[in-house]
This record gives sequence, structure tokens and C-alpha cells, in this order.
Amino acid sequence: MCTLDAGVVRQLARIVGDENISTRKDVLLTYSASASTGYDSSMPEAVVRPATTEEVSKILKIANKHRIIVTPRSGGSSLQGEVIPRSGGLVVELMRMNQISLYQDLRSVTVGAGVTFGMLDKFLNPFDLWVPVYPESSLVCTVAGNVAVNGAGPGSSAYGCIAEMVLGVEVVLPTGEVIQTGTEANPKAPGPFLRYAFGPDMTGLFIGSLGSLGVITKVSLKTFKRIRNFDYNTYGFETAEQAEQFLLKLRENDVHTLFASIYEGRILQFFMDMLGEEYGIPKHDWPPFTVSATIGRVRQDQLASDAKLAREICEALGGHVIDIAELPVGEWDDRMRTFARSSYAHGWHWRILYHHQTPTNWHKSVEEIWAVMDKYRLLGHTAGFLTDHASYNFYPHLYFDPADKPEEERVRAAHEELSQRLFQTGAVPFKLAPYWVNGVPEMETYLALVARMKKTLDPNGIMNPGVLGGI
Amino acid sequence: MGDIDLDVLKEELLQCRRCGLCRNAVYEAKGFDGVCPVWKNTNGFETGFMRGKIMVALALLDGILEKTQENAEALYTCTLCGNCTQICPAAFKPSKAIEQVRDVLNEIPNEVRDSIAEKIDAHDNPYLDGKSRKRDWTEALSFSVPTIADTLYFAGCTAGMKLPEVATDSARVLNAAGVVFAVMEEEPCCGSVMLRTGKRENARANAQRVVDAIVKTGAKRVVVSCAGCLRTLKDDYAQFGLKLPEVVHIVEFAADLIKDGRLKPKRVQTPMKVTYHDPCHLGREMGVYDSPREVLKSIPDIELVEMETNRATAMCCGAGGGLKSYSPEAAKRIAADRIRSAEKIGASYIVTSCPFCELNLEAGSSAIASRVDVVDVVNLLAQSLQ
Repeated sequence: MCTLDAGVVRQLARIVGDENISTRKDVLLTYSASASTGYDSSMPEAVVRPATTEEVSKILKIANKHRIIVTPRSGGSSLQGEVIPRSGGLVVELMRMNQISLYQDLRSVTVGAGVTFGMLDKFLNPFDLWVPVYPESSLVCTVAGNVAVNGAGPGSSAYGCIAEMVLGVEVVLPTGEVIQTGTEANPKAPGPFLRYAFGPDMTGLFIGSLGSLGVITKVSLKTFKRIRNFDYNTYGFETAEQAEQFLLKLRENDVHTLFASIYEGRILQFFMDMLGEEYGIPKHDWPPFTVSATIGRVRQDQLASDAKLAREICEALGGHVIDIAELPVGEWDDRMRTFARSSYAHGWHWRILYHHQTPTNWHKSVEEIWAVMDKYRLLGHTAGFLTDHASYNFYPHLYFDPADKPEEERVRAAHEELSQRLFQTGAVPFKLAPYWVNGVPEMETYLALVARMKKTLDPNGIMNPGVLGGI
Repeated sequence: MGDIDLDVLKEELLQCRRCGLCRNAVYEAKGFDGVCPVWKNTNGFETGFMRGKIMVALALLDGILEKTQENAEALYTCTLCGNCTQICPAAFKPSKAIEQVRDVLNEIPNEVRDSIAEKIDAHDNPYLDGKSRKRDWTEALSFSVPTIADTLYFAGCTAGMKLPEVATDSARVLNAAGVVFAVMEEEPCCGSVMLRTGKRENARANAQRVVDAIVKTGAKRVVVSCAGCLRTLKDDYAQFGLKLPEVVHIVEFAADLIKDGRLKPKRVQTPMKVTYHDPCHLGREMGVYDSPREVLKSIPDIELVEMETNRATAMCCGAGGGLKSYSPEAAKRIAADRIRSAEKIGASYIVTSCPFCELNLEAGSSAIASRVDVVDVVNLLAQSLQ
């Protein structure tokens, strides 16, 4: 790979204008890291801020020609090192691409790569619409960035990961070609209305690709009538199995649960110590397992029916309805920044290990997380939430003091071991980070396929190499 | 205000987990429509907002970045408006931390910062290379103003030297309520800008001089027009361990006078649709949000409408933290952006209660040839008392 020289910088400057490119050390330093604490930073050689897809295309053509490694970046809020650049490489920062187009008749919206969930939510609210999946970093992360990692959050318990909202993407390939997927691949289409157009799911190829197959410059999403009727409650259980079955039965019975989490007692107490007072949660002798759930419906009659059914399911499983609403109210109302809020309240710097489990295997992840924390003498938590058809999204944290280097090293080692142990329980990552598959023989064939696709789309290997399974 | 402990300061800076909420969070439910005015109105690189500024600060302190003027630029392109502190979930105040970093790193050359401090030290004002004449405005009044009284009106450098209408209208308001007040023969500068730009030791020495001068007047109450003066005299001086008589802002004082029936605002000449801009020092720092609004609402025929961001989440005017001196163009662009917010809601006037905000908002309004006029609360109040 080559590094950027002054001539290439001049070419890039001609594309975006002098004010939108920087090679200053102080500026580069701020792009050497992201919200991924616990990862080594790395200085790029230049940062460029294009405003249009055409500019991105021109930039990538130059980068490809000169074999310069490119790291696409938008909100900089990712937590597993996805946007930390390569030394000597080029960061393409997409925050200037902040256009939003609404297609009310198609029940869809298209956003540029610089649009955050907070911006989109505000835009849709006057139309009584929303995209009902809220990553808990919604105020910072962009929709496109979240699609690139296939994130989830409040709302996902009913609607699935962000992938389920996507109707199509516009992608600039590493060679500079611009590709549109979904119905918009037909330039005469009225807009985005179907993802599965023109054969295989090309959109899906780029979802979760971590910016390694191209730069997502636009995303088209489904919009839904905004839900304004909610039921908030907490449900208590004596065993993990009861709580797990409760989540499963909510899904099976179409109880429209927007957000549901299982808290084991010690983690709930941890949460209460930190945010209980702020959320106004009354003192309570919490059971060994608590499910916090927000049910939402467009119509009040639907909501009443769902809330009644949730109580019945809980009691039929041997649980009891706690009737403390403040916990799910706090989670839901502050859904666009719960992650930042609770993480700050809980800990210090951290490493996170996103993964999906089945609801009925919830306890297996929890057991492994605790085992690793005990082994490495670390603090952390086991939080997660129900997502998708039959899945539970975990985001355990392992905490460290940034001034305590040995502790940080222990967190890195614990993190790697935990991923291997979780894999053995049947858990799967939605971010194909290298530590999930390094040396895992069961994944060799799959990774070989990913490598072939990467080579086809990115023959010179310039796009964010290494982040997608180490490829 | 004790000495800055470098280890504590670094621990504070490390509280930042780089989540990025401080950039442009649009959080309608909590009143945020963006956070950092500098990021929004400058080149948009990460150095423009607090996450990047903290990274730069740590790198400078740790010697990872060389201590040069260019590398330190991010520290100074910040209004210290505190909107990031408002949304930051971490247990520290980012804007306060940056203010302290400026002080710790004040060996890094910065001509603008140094020349302001030198002017204040030598001439008691940040504007002129000569002795300030901050009492000249009293000559426009139809009544005489003593130099000794129980109430001291402290106009501040900007009202005293740049916007005398704020000072004269404040005086008219006080006079209309029957308040006997004094204005010092030679009013010193409160030194706010020294504190904000990292000249804390100069500010400490200046503060002692100011306190001595005010105490000498025998005043039992100090009324100020400037939000920066209020915070500095009331809050920062207390942290230096210095004691002053009660310090109040003119809008707080006027609101009380109206409640007590000592001021009875009458109809203004023509109905006005106005919006109120919360100065950062007065609002986020001192918690004064209601008084100016109460004063405006007490004036018949004035319709008060709120801009999209207001009170604790109000976007800054762009003047503070030394930005107006360090990067006047950036300050003006931020002000223009604030003016556009007033235009968006159809306000004819943007009213504030800080002469420094007013000065910058006027520059912003001119820059975009806006029809929105900029006035101080006391200008409208004085007009309604005629």
C-alpha cells in the first residue's frame, strides 16, 4: 500500500475544496480514534470531507489508483474499532451528506450518510412517522453508519435490527463506481419501496459490511406510523428459564413489545444504584429475574389487549407482574442516549462484545460473561435486549481504568476469550470482528467466501481492510 | 479557586469516552437542535467540537502533540458556552476543563489572548490602548449620577464603551423605580475574558483590585448589565475567596421591581414580536432564565416567542470564551446562525441581556442583512417606561 503524498492531497483538495481536507496533525489526531475506547489509535495521513456521492466516487478512484487505504467514517461512535484508520491512510468523513427525502406514498425515506437518527426522528415527527429502531447512540451515530454495522436498539424487540428497515442503499465501490440497490436501481422507479428487487439481496451484502466493501452514501428505509400509545411494566420471575420463556411467548403471541430486557438481580441492582434515582424508580425488593418491557401500539384498543395478554403470559409462567413502570419508562423515553447515559453511569472506559443469542439461551451468555469477568478480576455488566424474530442482542461491557495499563491488557485478553467462549454457546456476532473468527475452524469456509467477495469488489484491498473478519 | 491540579484535570479529561454527543445531537424531546455552535459553523472537522478538543488537550498535556499555536488552535476555537456540558453524560464539565487546560498550557503563544490581558492590566478594559472612560455615558442622562450610593451600577466594558444605550437605559430603569445608584468614577474591568482565555493569575490579581475598588464605594448591592460580569463577580470571585456585596443582574433586579409595583411598563409605540436569546453566562452558568422573560412579558403589546433552542439548550451567540477576538469570522457566523433561528419564528427583534452577546448578534445580523434587530431587555423596558 502507498501513503498519501502531496500530489495526491492536491488532487483530493481539487475535489472537495481546500477547506474540506486536512493534513494537520491536530486534526488527524482527532480521527485516530473513535468511541472505541480500549483500541489502539492510529494516525491517518489525511482527512477529507466530501459533500456528494460524486465527490466520494472521485476520491475513491484516486485512492484506488494510488492504492491508498480508506476508512469511511461518519458519527465516529462505533465501539469495536471499525473506524480507526490505518497509519498513512485516508479518512473519508461523511457528515456533510445530510440530505433527507421523504416518500410518503411509498412509506419510505432516504437519508444521506451524515444523517443521525436524532435528525431523522425530528424530521419525521411532524408527519406522524418514525423509523422505529433506535440505536442507543442515536444522537451521534448516523443511519448509514448503523447500517454498516447492522445495529439495533430500542424498537428492535418488535422490528428487528436496522437491516429490517432498509429498502436499499447507494454505495460507492472501492473502484469508484456508484451502485444503487433495491427498487431505486431502476432510475424510473418512484423511489424506494422494495428491497428485494432485481434478484439477490444486494442490499444485504453491504449491511454489516463495516465499510470494507464500499462507502454507503445513502440509505432508504421503511417508515411507520408513529406509535404514541405505550404500556410500561416490569415482570418478576424466580428462574432464568421463566424469564426467557416470557420473552419467547411475547413474540409468539404478537405482543407488540418495542423493547424488552431481562435483568438478573445483581445487574439490576447495579443499574438502580446508578440511574434508579434519576429515573425515579421506587425502592423494591426485586426478584432474581426481572423483565422490563415497553409495549407500543398505534391504537389504544390494541395496546390494552397486548398489555392484558402480557400479564396473563407472565402469570401463566409462574411469574408476577411487578407494576413498576419507571424502569421501562426511563429506558424508552431516553432511548436515543440510554447507552451513553448508562455506560457513563456504570463504568469507566470499556470494551464491548456485541452478540446475538436466542432468548432461551440468554442464561448461557450471562454465565460466560460472569465467568470471564471473575477469571480476569474485572467489573462489567451483562446488558442486552430482545431483538428480531427469536434473538436477544447482548452488549456486555468489560471496564478498565485508562490509566491502569495492566488492567486494560486484562480487558483485551478477557474480551478475546469471551468471544471464543460465546461462540461455543452458539452465539453469533453481528459485527464480524476478527476476534470472533481468528483460528475458528468452523468459520474457515465462510470466511473464504467473504474474502472472495471482498477481492471481487475491492481488488486493491483499499477499503477498511482488516475490520471484516480480519480480511 | 485553588490551583489547578494537573492530575485531577487529566482524570477529568479522561472522563470523556468520546461518545460524541457534544457534536450535533438533535434531541427534540430534550430541546437540543445541535450542540456545538463552533462545529456547526466552522469547517466541521472533529477539532471543532468538544470530543476532538479534549483529545487535543490530552495530547498537548501528554506531549504527544507539540505545543504550538497551530496545534492549540482547537482549545481556543471554543466559546465555552457549556451546551456540551448540558448534554454530556460524564461526571465532569467539559467547558470548565477546557478553560483550565488553556490556563495550564498558557505558555503556548497566543497573541490575541496576551494582548487582551495586557490591555486589561494596563488600561482596565479589553478594547482600547488607553484609559477607559466608562462613565462618559452618564452625560447623556437627564439626571445626575453620584459615585457613592448603596446601589452600585457596574456597567461593564462593553456597555460602558461599545453600547452606551444599554448603560443609559439601565440607568433610566433604575431611576424610574426610584433607586438611587452610583457609577464609579473609574470602573475597572471584571476580568472575565482573562479567566476564560487562560490568564488566571492575571485575573486573580485583577479581581483583588476590582473588589477593593467596589468595597471602597461602600455599596451594599452591585447591579450589572453584562452576563459575563455577573458570573465573574458572583461566581469566580467567590472561588478566589473574595467577598463582594450582593451582585445581581439588571434583569433580575428589574423583574423584582416590576413585581413590587415600583416599575409599571406601559404600551410601546408599536406591537412587537420578540424572541429572547439566553446568554450562556446568565442562563447555563447562573441559572437565570425567567427574570428576563418576566420583564418582557410585563410590557404590553410585546409578544414573546421562543426560538427552537432556548434556556438550558440555547445555542450560543458565538462571542464567548474569547472566540470573538480569536476568530471574529467564526463568531460572526455563529451569530448569524442564531439570527436565522429568530428569523425562522418570525421575530422582529432578538432581545438579550448581555451587551457582549448583543454586539456579536448585531455583527451576525449585518452579515446576513437580516431584518431582525438586536436589542437589550433594558432598551425595551426603558422605552415602555417613558
